[in-house]
Amino acid sequence: MRELCAEAYRPIYDEGITQDRIDATVLSYAASQFTGQGAGSALIADYLGLHDKPHLRVESACTTGTASLRAAWGMVSAGLYDVMLVLGVEQMNRVSSGTATEYMSRAGDMRWEYPYGISFPAFYALMASRYMHEYNMPHEVLSMIAVKSHHYGAQNPKAHLPREVSLEEANNAVPICRPLNLYDCSLITDGAAAVVIAAEDRVKEFTDEPMWIKGIGAGASAMMIQDREALTSIPGAKRAAKAAYKMAGLEPKDINMAEVHDCFTIAELIAYEDLGFAEPGKGPDLVRNKENYHDARIPVNCDGGLKSKGHPLGATGVSMTYEVLKQMRGEAEKPSRQIDDVQYGLVHNVGQSGQFVNVFIYERGW
Amino acid sequence: MAEKKELYLGYASDKAVTPFFQEFLEALDQGTLMMSKCTKCGAEYLPPRQHCQKDMADCELKPFTETEAKLYSYVIVDFPPDSLSDRAPYVVAVGEFPSGKRLTAHITNLMSMPEVGMTLKLGFDKMEEKKLVTYKWLV
Repeated sequence: MRELCAEAYRPIYDEGITQDRIDATVLSYAASQFTGQGAGSALIADYLGLHDKPHLRVESACTTGTASLRAAWGMVSAGLYDVMLVLGVEQMNRVSSGTATEYMSRAGDMRWEYPYGISFPAFYALMASRYMHEYNMPHEVLSMIAVKSHHYGAQNPKAHLPREVSLEEANNAVPICRPLNLYDCSLITDGAAAVVIAAEDRVKEFTDEPMWIKGIGAGASAMMIQDREALTSIPGAKRAAKAAYKMAGLEPKDINMAEVHDCFTIAELIAYEDLGFAEPGKGPDLVRNKENYHDARIPVNCDGGLKSKGHPLGATGVSMTYEVLKQMRGEAEKPSRQIDDVQYGLVHNVGQSGQFVNVFIYERGW
Repeated sequence: MAEKKELYLGYASDKAVTPFFQEFLEALDQGTLMMSKCTKCGAEYLPPRQHCQKDMADCELKPFTETEAKLYSYVIVDFPPDSLSDRAPYVVAVGEFPSGKRLTAHITNLMSMPEVGMTLKLGFDKMEEKKLVTYKWLV
């Protein structure tokens, strides 16, 4: 994992943000059981030549990336540090898929859910079954989301599974947790991402093209999935979105692009509704009308998302943030995935099955 | 005082058993599902909590008497965690009782695809050799 972090930090170093200009580091590292490495932030700080600077690790399951950003934002806002490096990393392929599934199932309630084998996809399959029942939605709608994700992942050189899939292939794939199949599920990925958060009065020292944190919202939901007031939405996501929009002084219609937490296709569908891009039960219309493509009403996950780009847990929220800045700067690798004129970008990052959610709204700073 | 019986819940327990949870497991071993009720405000919990979520007061175990529920949602787990690899595929269902309380368990006797809204009956099971006890759904 140290090499992955170095790969993520190197472009930042090459832009002139060398170790001596960084005050402290936050390591976003969700699941040390995959590598067995404890004290991860010490290891990474040392490997990157930051061993004489303060560092800490944040853990909030799949939302660790944005939880780390939130922690760093808080420290910078409070004046504790001016320049912080937020590094997200996960190395998950050191274990088998069955063992990875085992580890992630332990993010459910160990007393009441784990003994019944409710895996990470199983939690979202429970949402999918309920959504399909309440809104009479065919599985094919979920497959349309997978097709979009792979369409954009195929254009992203950093994607884990960069290839197109047909609707037929996606809809008829091998079952994983019915009603979810292989193409409904994100990937078990090794990866890293890094961003720098700097105090407002210091930003110009580093770039002429920054983005500002315009709004941050955090929300939470009941631990056990059976205790949620609904399975057709993630209550914590709605709370996080409401708080982020309020802080930003914006509405869903103002958002030019979104990176949403598509750990499963049903999660992306529910995100459209929780974020206010579609009314409850109307997410499938947004999908069928392809309003989620790069040149349409609300481009979503035009980097391939967790589904095609991959889902290295701790890196995911950081990677989403990187993608928003990349789109704002017009630096997508191909015009066919470049979103025009992004003024406001949104990141939606969900932990486990929705116990914690962070929503960030970014504003172009030039 | 009766000797404590070694018992664990479900099919792959984490084996962290408190005295309160032990009492729940021993009742389950005798075929009774216990809920809990707050001794201060009367809030009820299924599955049971030892401490009330509202006021942190002690809760006491009491038998849960509802026996039929409606299937609220389900999943058929084809690709299991390692710990349940010998049971896959298996069906996990959230059932909702008339009182609104819910319970998550396996349906063990399905002969066709599950359907949201179908009636579920509460049942019990033991695997003596593994010291496991559980509640389950029957259709």
